[in-house]
Amino acid sequence: MARKESEIKDTVQGRERIHVVMFFMSMLFLFLGAWILVRIVHIQTSYTVDERVVGLFRPRVQKYVEHPVRGRILATDGRPLAISAPLYDIHMDCTVRKQEYKDKGKEEQEAGWRLKARELAVSLSREFHDKSADDWAKAILDGREKGSKYLLIRKNVDLTTLRKLQGFPLFKEGANHGGIIVERHPERIYPYDSLARRVIGYVKENNRIGLENSFDSELHGREGYEWRRVTDDYSWIRDLDSAKVEVQDGNDIRTTLNVDFQDIADKALRAQINENDDIRAGICIIMEAKTGAIRAMVNLSRGDTPQTTLWERENLVLTQTGEQGSVMKTVTLLSVVEDGYVTSLEQTLPTNHGFVPKLGIKGRPSAYPHDDHISDYERNTGRREITVMHGFEISSNYVFATLAETYYGKRPQEFLDHVYSYRLGEAFDFDIPGLRMPYVPRPEMEGVWSQTTLGTMAYGYAMSVTPLHVVTFYNGIANKGKMMKPYLVESVEKDGKVIKKYEPSALNASICSPATADTVTRALRAVVNTGTATRLKSAKLPVAGKTGTAQVVLTPQERKGNPDPYHDPMGRKKNQGTFVGFFPADNPKYTIMVTVYSYLSGKSFYGGTMPALAIREIVDKIYALDDDWRPELHPTATVPVMTEAK
Amino acid sequence: MTFREIAHTIRNTFRALRNGEFLLRVRADKYYMHIMYLFLLMWITIMLSLQVDKTLTRAGANKAAIEELRVHHTESEAALVKLRSASATETRLQKMGSKTALPQKPATVVKKK
Repeated sequence: MARKESEIKDTVQGRERIHVVMFFMSMLFLFLGAWILVRIVHIQTSYTVDERVVGLFRPRVQKYVEHPVRGRILATDGRPLAISAPLYDIHMDCTVRKQEYKDKGKEEQEAGWRLKARELAVSLSREFHDKSADDWAKAILDGREKGSKYLLIRKNVDLTTLRKLQGFPLFKEGANHGGIIVERHPERIYPYDSLARRVIGYVKENNRIGLENSFDSELHGREGYEWRRVTDDYSWIRDLDSAKVEVQDGNDIRTTLNVDFQDIADKALRAQINENDDIRAGICIIMEAKTGAIRAMVNLSRGDTPQTTLWERENLVLTQTGEQGSVMKTVTLLSVVEDGYVTSLEQTLPTNHGFVPKLGIKGRPSAYPHDDHISDYERNTGRREITVMHGFEISSNYVFATLAETYYGKRPQEFLDHVYSYRLGEAFDFDIPGLRMPYVPRPEMEGVWSQTTLGTMAYGYAMSVTPLHVVTFYNGIANKGKMMKPYLVESVEKDGKVIKKYEPSALNASICSPATADTVTRALRAVVNTGTATRLKSAKLPVAGKTGTAQVVLTPQERKGNPDPYHDPMGRKKNQGTFVGFFPADNPKYTIMVTVYSYLSGKSFYGGTMPALAIREIVDKIYALDDDWRPELHPTATVPVMTEAK
Repeated sequence: MTFREIAHTIRNTFRALRNGEFLLRVRADKYYMHIMYLFLLMWITIMLSLQVDKTLTRAGANKAAIEELRVHHTESEAALVKLRSASATETRLQKMGSKTALPQKPATVVKKK
């Protein structure tokens, strides 16, 4: 009984103990609840946020700027001339895990790392060939000893090479174990290297030239950005609660350049000037006669010394202003024919022993220099008259100075009006900036305009223009008087769709009548057949054009005190030889110009030699490539149709 | 309600809380389904959020793969274009000792009668 009472007492005491524990726990939770309520009220009313604490609780978010892919520059057939792709610089942190492996018991891991480094060295040696495996191993292991965290492995590797490197021993273990550091940077790739590089241009940080510069607003695109947050498994994903600006890749621009023509012209010009150390530079332009579309523009030049290799260093087509010499006689011929002063190319002038009938000072027979061509002509033919046509064929300065003096001597402005209507006096708008302003003297320029200026202009001196001006003028003749504006870009495209189209336009709808153009074309054809450009006579397509050989005005440094502006004290001079014309002569499709520029030299370079030979090669190759001249074979009988055998 | 009644209610509430009978006294069992439904909604929300994260991660990986393919395509295109130029072809043929050269005249087109 006593036992029963004690059991009851224990049970009651146990229940009371549980009751007390439960009571205190309930009170604890009640207190916590009350405390939470108080904190809520406090936070809502007077709590100030500590940003450092907030940062620890918020998911990590960072702004990610997405750079646009620069648009491509395409040839007229869509082949890429400039494209963008990233390149990668590879470095190595040689000290990776070094501290960790220093601990006791980890010597084996350090030895393992070093063994893999040697395997890596073998792979690097096999890949790059410029260092032996031992050299690579020494560089890496020395770097580990000396604490090198940024050992250069290779700069500017492409993606294929990068992936290969990432599969090498050690590197395949990633940055934290293998120490590979990959830095990506956008790069512009020019698949054709130097071909048309002055036209295409380049981008180097903030420095741009050529089409890369003038169409940068189209090519660049627009940067985008988004905010990214880290997920539970440490991936970075877009934070959908934040703003996002879509990246817009740059537009493509399609040029008028024909890669095959550019290649042919580049090679033909190099073939002529590469072995000749006296030649400083050479240019070539091929323009489509009907539209003014430039199909090729070559600008090859050496540096200050002849030893340097030919490269597209400067855009001479746009910037090389100078007296163009005899190719400008066509300006005079076109003007006198168009004005009706010369009604037939067989019209004659007295030869006057090569002296332009204009009195010179101090008893000289003429204010103009004597023309030796006329003396030769008189001696060879015994004649005292010369036709305009023959004067053009032999490129006589006398004939053209005489024509200018005879017909425009009293009204030089009439001649200058022609020059300006041929757009030879202005820097017209062009797709690449930098076209130089020509220099054309005017009678009102005191101290500049002399009694011989007009006649000198008539045979290509006294006025300075660029090669682009010359070729545009000749293209006007090829196009029966309609002078087209030269252009390089035909459209802006986005994902293959044309979003902006540049149509051909005229600089001058009529510089002359079609009849005048035909007459001048006949004279230009005669230059090739019997004149100064007979090297082009056997070209596979008939060429019409004009040679020009000009002496270049020297700088005071080059002249070294010599009063003659064209010669240094040693009698050396700078020459430029040009041929400009179009082909096929009877139905012109392309206008072409080649000029070579010499260093100071005792030699002379003529338009009928190197430039004509280069043009012949170009014409022959274009003839073989262009579909327009494919001969057609018409069968004379019906070709039997093959049927299946029964 | 008098002060006594309020005090009585508070005292009862405390007692109920102390005895662990509060939810039973306010008949919370009536809202059991609602509470379960609330938990279900919360679970679905969390699950969807994790799915969105997973999808975005996959989209990011796909984007990187596309970008890599684009770069690879660009590099291959550049290499092929370089090989395609006439002078490059001519040089390669010369190196190989081939007599094949660029055409000297355009191809003849055979017309149907």
